[in-house]
Amino acid sequence: MKKLICAVLAFVLLLALVACGEAAPQDDKKVQSIDEVEKTVASAVKKVSKEEVKIGLICLHDENSTYDNNFIQALKDAQAELGLSNDQVLIKTGINEDDACLKAAQEFVDAGCNIIFADSFGHETYMIQAAKEFPDVQFCHATGTKAQISGVPNYHTAFADIYEGRFLAGVAAGMKLQEMIDSGKITADKAVIGYIGAFDYAEVVSGMTSFFLGARYICNDATMKVTYTNSWFDIAKEKEAALNLINSGCVLISQHADSEGAPKACEEKGVPNVAYNISTISMGPNTAIISSKINWTPYFKMIINAALEGGTIPTDFCGTMKDGYVELTELNTAVAAEGTQAKLDEVKAKLISGELEVYDTKTFTVNGQELTTYKADIVDNGDFVPDSEAVKNGVFTESSDRSAPYFDIKYIDGISE
Amino acid sequence: MNRTEKHQREPLIHITRRADIPLAKAWLIRLAAIVSALIVCSLLIVAITNYNPIEVFVKMAEGSLGSPRKLMFLLQELSMLLCISVAVTPAFKMKFWNLGAEGQVLVGGLASAACMFYAKDSIPNALLIFLMLAAGIASGMIWALIPAVFKSVWGTNESLFTLMMNYVAMQLVAFFIMVWVPNGSNVMGIINMNSQNGWLPDLFGQKYLINIIIVFILTVVMFIYLKYSKQGYEISVVGGSQNTARYIGIDVKKVIIRTMLISGAICGLAGFLLVSGTNHTISKELAGGMGFTAIMVSWLAKFNPLLMIVTSFLIVFLQRGAGEIATAFRLNTSVADIITGIIIFFIIGCEFFINYKINFRTSKERREAKQ
Amino acid sequence: MATASIELKDISKRFGRILANDKVCLTAYSGEILALLGENGSGKTTLMNMISGIYYPDEGQILINGEEAVIRSPKEAFDYGIGMIHQHFKLVDIFSAAENIVLGLNEHRRYNLKEIKARVSEIIEKYGFELDPSKKIYDMSVSEKQTVEIIKVLYRGADILILDEPTAVLTLQEIQKLFEILRRMRDDGKTIIIITHKLQEVLELSDRVTVLRKGRYIGTVDTASTSESELTEMMVGKKISLNITRTEPNNPTDRLTVSGLECIDRDGRKVIDGVSFTARSGEILGIAGIAGSGQRELLEAIAGLQHIQNGSVVYHDPKTGIDEELRGKSPIQIRELGVRLSFVPEDRLGMGLVGNMDIIDNMMLRSYKRGRSMFVERKGPKDLANTIIEQLEVVTPSAETPVRKLSGGNVQKVLVGREISASPTVLMAAYPVRGLDINSSYAIYNLLNDQKKNGASVIFVGEDLDVLVELCDRIMVIGSGRIMGILDGRTASKNEIGFLMTKSQHGGPAE
Repeated sequence: MKKLICAVLAFVLLLALVACGEAAPQDDKKVQSIDEVEKTVASAVKKVSKEEVKIGLICLHDENSTYDNNFIQALKDAQAELGLSNDQVLIKTGINEDDACLKAAQEFVDAGCNIIFADSFGHETYMIQAAKEFPDVQFCHATGTKAQISGVPNYHTAFADIYEGRFLAGVAAGMKLQEMIDSGKITADKAVIGYIGAFDYAEVVSGMTSFFLGARYICNDATMKVTYTNSWFDIAKEKEAALNLINSGCVLISQHADSEGAPKACEEKGVPNVAYNISTISMGPNTAIISSKINWTPYFKMIINAALEGGTIPTDFCGTMKDGYVELTELNTAVAAEGTQAKLDEVKAKLISGELEVYDTKTFTVNGQELTTYKADIVDNGDFVPDSEAVKNGVFTESSDRSAPYFDIKYIDGISE
Repeated sequence: MNRTEKHQREPLIHITRRADIPLAKAWLIRLAAIVSALIVCSLLIVAITNYNPIEVFVKMAEGSLGSPRKLMFLLQELSMLLCISVAVTPAFKMKFWNLGAEGQVLVGGLASAACMFYAKDSIPNALLIFLMLAAGIASGMIWALIPAVFKSVWGTNESLFTLMMNYVAMQLVAFFIMVWVPNGSNVMGIINMNSQNGWLPDLFGQKYLINIIIVFILTVVMFIYLKYSKQGYEISVVGGSQNTARYIGIDVKKVIIRTMLISGAICGLAGFLLVSGTNHTISKELAGGMGFTAIMVSWLAKFNPLLMIVTSFLIVFLQRGAGEIATAFRLNTSVADIITGIIIFFIIGCEFFINYKINFRTSKERREAKQ
Repeated sequence: MATASIELKDISKRFGRILANDKVCLTAYSGEILALLGENGSGKTTLMNMISGIYYPDEGQILINGEEAVIRSPKEAFDYGIGMIHQHFKLVDIFSAAENIVLGLNEHRRYNLKEIKARVSEIIEKYGFELDPSKKIYDMSVSEKQTVEIIKVLYRGADILILDEPTAVLTLQEIQKLFEILRRMRDDGKTIIIITHKLQEVLELSDRVTVLRKGRYIGTVDTASTSESELTEMMVGKKISLNITRTEPNNPTDRLTVSGLECIDRDGRKVIDGVSFTARSGEILGIAGIAGSGQRELLEAIAGLQHIQNGSVVYHDPKTGIDEELRGKSPIQIRELGVRLSFVPEDRLGMGLVGNMDIIDNMMLRSYKRGRSMFVERKGPKDLANTIIEQLEVVTPSAETPVRKLSGGNVQKVLVGREISASPTVLMAAYPVRGLDINSSYAIYNLLNDQKKNGASVIFVGEDLDVLVELCDRIMVIGSGRIMGILDGRTASKNEIGFLMTKSQHGGPAE
């Protein structure tokens, strides 16, 4: 028995060594930029009657997660606006980023769904598999990165220019900070924002940077401290992270993590909070200022209409602020600084008109230098090699070549961990 | 006699252990438990959702068994839970409280995934699968061996030890994903998506069939091993009384280590099956709590692997049914979980009534006592 | 004379079929130390448990200070001023002495540890204890823990103190210290009842002695006017004829020679201290002694289950004539030498059998390894189980019944049956009739006698002296891990054995 085990172990080690040695051959293929790759062409959606249309939503967590809740509410709104019955809008919550996603998709197909939407990054590869298996069904996904290169015509990804919304939320935060400085509550060097990120990951980095740029647009003295929880949803960790940041001197907190942990911690400590995805005024009536969010209702309406009319769903769709995909929730005037609403309206108009660019490279520096060129990993083929130039005409063109954010510079000056 | 009346008052209820219970009566009690569980659930459903409870139960059954695909899903999930239950059984039978199945499955899966990730398509599929299998089993064994050695040599508490090993395994998985997918959100995604190298092949067009067959064979083998082999007998003796084991000359340390190696190997196998035959990825949620549910499955089946087919069916049936009603009635999954919780509570609770008898003091007994 | 502080009248207590106390009477006065003397199983502890509210008597009357008392729980016992110090301490390890002392005390005032400590210190000074009230239990020696237990009952205002074998765990010096304190308490007017089976201590400490034997009240004498031999006789009783057959040993030859055996327990205490003897074929060697004098360790050392510190165990093989050293060998190695050594341990379900397994599987314990197959063979054990059930008249629904469901006698028959089925050359049995009814006991005696006739060397550890003197060919008395004497079973008297048993003191046999 023991000999056998030893023999097996030795054999395994040997094979592992051999395998690793062989695994090395890297393709010498030229790295292709997003403009060079062959892009997927979306297939036409099979036209169905209003009675036949059926959409399934796959969520990683349930309504307790602000992120998932944003999708669930948006779909319910779209359902109400289009007058669909509950049988036509199916929702599965708590679907892990593994085979469970594929199974959920297959069950939705069996239940007669024409369109299936999954809401978590890790669902992507399983959605592509499902899309290959059921070519007549449309599969949509946020925040996927692979639709343009997948070659699967019925697989689509979607996101929105949320960095603009974050920028606006940052403006509201900047207003608050400036108010604190002006009222003498803090000195300018104490204007430190605390930021809780879920993962050290492009979507999060882009979100925090645009938020910070927004804050600095108003309050030039602002700096930001970042901490990560390594989880999308962890009430305890997020709360702890918020408390740590507050204790280390942060006077305003924002977060990109999906639980009520941080807003509630802020309410406890009386520290202003700017949130994401949903309004947190009910969690922190005395501290919540505003939230930015993606409004998914128009997207859901669009894909359902595509089925009703027999159109096509864009392979990779990025909703704009102008079209109402990027929104701010109700401003909590009890907490926000005076004149915030007016300022927000003004900045929003400038962003929509293009007069103001969030990632205008003149407004920030990286290691003291202006950013003149940056290659981002936009073609997500699993090589993690930066492939496409993102700085064009003095602007980092976030979400223009791919809806999923790719601004992953850690960090611009003023942000630190 | 000098006693006064008040001395001999018996308590109103007293509980006695049943010496024996007829099989029919035992099953009657179990049936009654399920019926009462359903009644309590019905009341709850009506109270909080106002749906027709019968409709809800029918939907639940449909969700588990309603279509060939759903049946296949049920069988697949059942087989994974069964596999881990079979894995923890020898250790539990030996009264080694192995709470570390979760971690053992994770490292098994991690090792398999590592082979898959590094080999990509450089080696033939069959060799890669064999490699993954061997690596998965070996790592599961190592993860089980560590607490077993500590227990048998230094008498460490195995429950805490194995529990802590779970967290180590989870962080190990998170770490490797970070290495493999830098700057990500700790999501691996499908490995070898295009080449499908390292994936267990479909059998008769069914993706999960190989998993299911392997686990069912394993279950039968484990049943035979525990019941008819000398090593299985030694496990029973060590579990029954370590002193008796010493008395007849069984090397208790050796048996503990050997049994935990078996336990870990099967957990590692489960990890391999989950990676190679099911998910084709690795994540911290690979075992998804099955390492703990398996303990309940094993216990409910009184450590009989064949009975575990029934108990794991019960659990998976309820889980899948709960997911279905959550979608069908737009209930939060918590409501569905409450319902399965109630049912399981009643089923476990009824074992008490099978083992014990409740005697109420009757006035007749009181009269007799006076005489 | 003054009113007795505690008086028991005709107390009886029955556990199932066993009558643990049969119309026992006892009287103790304030300002005296009463010793309650008796062998193992004579009902002393049961009686005291009834006074302290753990059991409730089936019959009889308890009077406290002349008034009838109803004691249904330890709490009610406390209300009567009765405090018991058990053999096994009931203390919370991580608490300090003072915390343990007030634990569970439902005082209607604020919990004030400082005040409590002051009151504890007061008690300590009054009686001359040595204890730091702030010390944690896990840091304490056995003697200190006992002190905590005593102070605990004093703190609660006990006037009647019952101590169950208080000296069993103490060293000689500690015993002397304890006795001084007990005397001081007596002089303070407390009533002290001390349970013991050590004669010297009784004579040294007590004012009066009450003797129990086999659950019955034998009598009470003044210590000053009694002697060791009178107490021994009261304790062991007149010889009762049991009519156990005893055949003459058939051609006895040396089978097992134990010399200079020494074993230590976990705390490094010598539990076997230089034991040497020879067991012969065709005879029954009885081992007598107070419980816990090293009997278990001795048998386990021979069977290869105890680490032997010093000395040797030599087996003389009757067939080959070769001498085999058994020291350092495991039970399996001993069996592989061809030594047919059977062992019926004291704790049947804890050691000899597995309670959850059925009779067949328990039969397999000794033989499961036989054969090269990786599977067990159940046919042989099944036949054996059925043979034993039939021949020894084991009452069981079937051979597939788990042994824990059988009654004590039947469990013993299964165990003894299995052990003799291997036709042993040495058969060791520890308390094989403990808890058995008369018929089962005789069945076991007959089985032992059969083995003797077959030429086995039988080693029998017993507690009933009547049985020992009628069954055994030779009787070895051990005390505190040493041999106190080896007597001829045919001529030895119970008094003689009883005297040797109780002669031992800590630190070795009294010369």
